[in-house]
Amino acid sequence: MIGQNNIETLVVLQPIAVDTASPDRDGMLVMANGLLVGVLVRLDTPEHESFGGWFMEAGLGRLAGLRIPAFDTLEDATRWLRRHLKP
Amino acid sequence: MQDALTRKLESFEELTNEDRGALNALTLKVRQVRARTDLIHEGDAPDTVHLILDGYACRYKVLADGQRQIMAYLVPGDFCDLNVFILDQMDHSIGTITACQAVDIPRQAIEAITADHPRVTRALWWCALVDEAVLREWLVNLGSRPANHRIAHLLCELLLRLEAVGRVTSNSYDFPFTQSDIADTMGLSNVHVNRTIRELRELGLVALKHRTVTILDVERLKAYCGFNPNYLHLRNTRWSNRRSVPWLSSGHGG
Repeated sequence: MIGQNNIETLVVLQPIAVDTASPDRDGMLVMANGLLVGVLVRLDTPEHESFGGWFMEAGLGRLAGLRIPAFDTLEDATRWLRRHLKP
Repeated sequence: MQDALTRKLESFEELTNEDRGALNALTLKVRQVRARTDLIHEGDAPDTVHLILDGYACRYKVLADGQRQIMAYLVPGDFCDLNVFILDQMDHSIGTITACQAVDIPRQAIEAITADHPRVTRALWWCALVDEAVLREWLVNLGSRPANHRIAHLLCELLLRLEAVGRVTSNSYDFPFTQSDIADTMGLSNVHVNRTIRELRELGLVALKHRTVTILDVERLKAYCGFNPNYLHLRNTRWSNRRSVPWLSSGHGG
């Protein structure tokens, strides 16, 4: 069990354009240990409360259906994902 | 303040002079409540029935993880907890959105007046049944409509409910809800709420400025989300029909 806690989830982001039916279109595919787990999108519309932040547009698997607050930066998002997707 | 209560009930049921007299004899307390304040908490014993005279409030629950779900908006003329005054404890909280003026009607007063005044009882039932119908429609909204239709539907509903109590001017009404309020009501993220409102604006359906919403094209907004106001059972839409139901009108002379 101790060994398991030391295993880090490898989070890889890959740029992708996303259709959100809004001007927000710069996104990242989120891969955790090689599996697609979600899509992050940058909030580029000034009316957003978290303008400039990164929003989990879609979550798969353990992230499905979660209402996750937007992240200020991709680093914050990655840190959060590593913590929530521990093996 | 009795006047507001009487008017509210008379919009559902024709009351007699005796009914009105009994309502006028009630001693009611008017409370000024600040914005974002609970009128009653989940777990409390509901000793009084609250009637909102001014301002907006909501029914809500908070889950263990802190997530809030709003199950109803209460606008002027709405009873807050008529549906639970018979029960021992509140199964949800009621909190204000804006500063509110609320009337406290003691539970005993309701019990006494309903024992002697069947028309008042029926008017109260009517209120409770309409609340239930609204809740059913919200269930449909959350379960079966996409985000953009959900919010459009809410805007249509508020327009009609507020219009019925004289709070709409030129298709505009107070809209003090934050993006988080709407998100917690509609089961959406703040981001989706923001995008949806933007879409409704771009379609020329609504304008939102200084916490006031204006429905720019009521018929188009209704068509957009398939709004059918039947569940609100508003007086002007059902009054003539209801009066023609024979078994209802034959039962009493009032």
